[in-house]
Amino acid sequence: MDQEYIIAHADKLVMKISGLRVKGLNTKQLEQILMEKLHTLVRVIGVTGEDIEMDVYDIEPDQIQRNARGLIETISLAEGITVTEVTKLSCSEKILEVDFDQIPKQPISGCARERWIRHPC
Amino acid sequence: MLNTAYIIPTGDEIRNGVVQDLDAPEIIGQIVRVYPKAEVTRLCPLYDDEDAIYNKIREIALQKKPDLIVLIGGSGGGHRFSSTLGKDYTHSVLEQCLDQRCSREIYGKNGHLWCKLVCGKKGSTLIINVPGPYQEAKAAMEAFLKALTKEAGIEDICNAMAEAVYAQYPAGAAKTL
Repeated sequence: MDQEYIIAHADKLVMKISGLRVKGLNTKQLEQILMEKLHTLVRVIGVTGEDIEMDVYDIEPDQIQRNARGLIETISLAEGITVTEVTKLSCSEKILEVDFDQIPKQPISGCARERWIRHPC
Repeated sequence: MLNTAYIIPTGDEIRNGVVQDLDAPEIIGQIVRVYPKAEVTRLCPLYDDEDAIYNKIREIALQKKPDLIVLIGGSGGGHRFSSTLGKDYTHSVLEQCLDQRCSREIYGKNGHLWCKLVCGKKGSTLIINVPGPYQEAKAAMEAFLKALTKEAGIEDICNAMAEAVYAQYPAGAAKTL
């Protein structure tokens, strides 16, 4: 199999908004609303009925924390999101660079048994 | 020429209606703009279940024998890197079931798999996956169709799709390992 690895040297952090009611979310609209607010790239990476995780690129965590209340108000404008009394926002630190040697030389998927042993799911 | 295509969205959140499926309409629109005579079928979204995805691909490829199958979503590292993220299986399924295949893996500098694109064949059917985020799916599909109309092979198609997805990140120069 022909296979290549590519490294993306992008800075990002993960922003999570929990305590929501989510149904019929328009992710494209949500990303657009947040990108206009934060002036940077935002991608929705995980959604459940109660919370949303997003990658936010080229931004400092405190810039998000300072604007937490405003960001929650902003996302309530997106189709499919209802903010509740327990809605809260959290964000990770920016990702840290690792040595390229830590990136697997074999496909991450591997065979089913090998994956199960390494990553029980 | 592309006459028949099946679009298969994946993801519990898509199937449950928590998130709108914006990718499939975009992909269908792109295909019929380039191939106006194409018959494109969008299947019911699949849960993030490796066996279910595997069985559906085999069923469609072997019984319907379309020219193209597009799997949407499940292209990242997902649960393998974060316990809060969904289970990403489309790339691992394609590695198991394709007769010929080619892949490109995009990693973040944190060592996490951000996206794995696989392109290959099962019998006469060309099968690809695209990432779930709308902008990345749109870019990957545009690159795919552009390469296909030039009659590119699976390696060139995979390269074109990977470059298009990579260009969606605000990253510096790519480093190929």
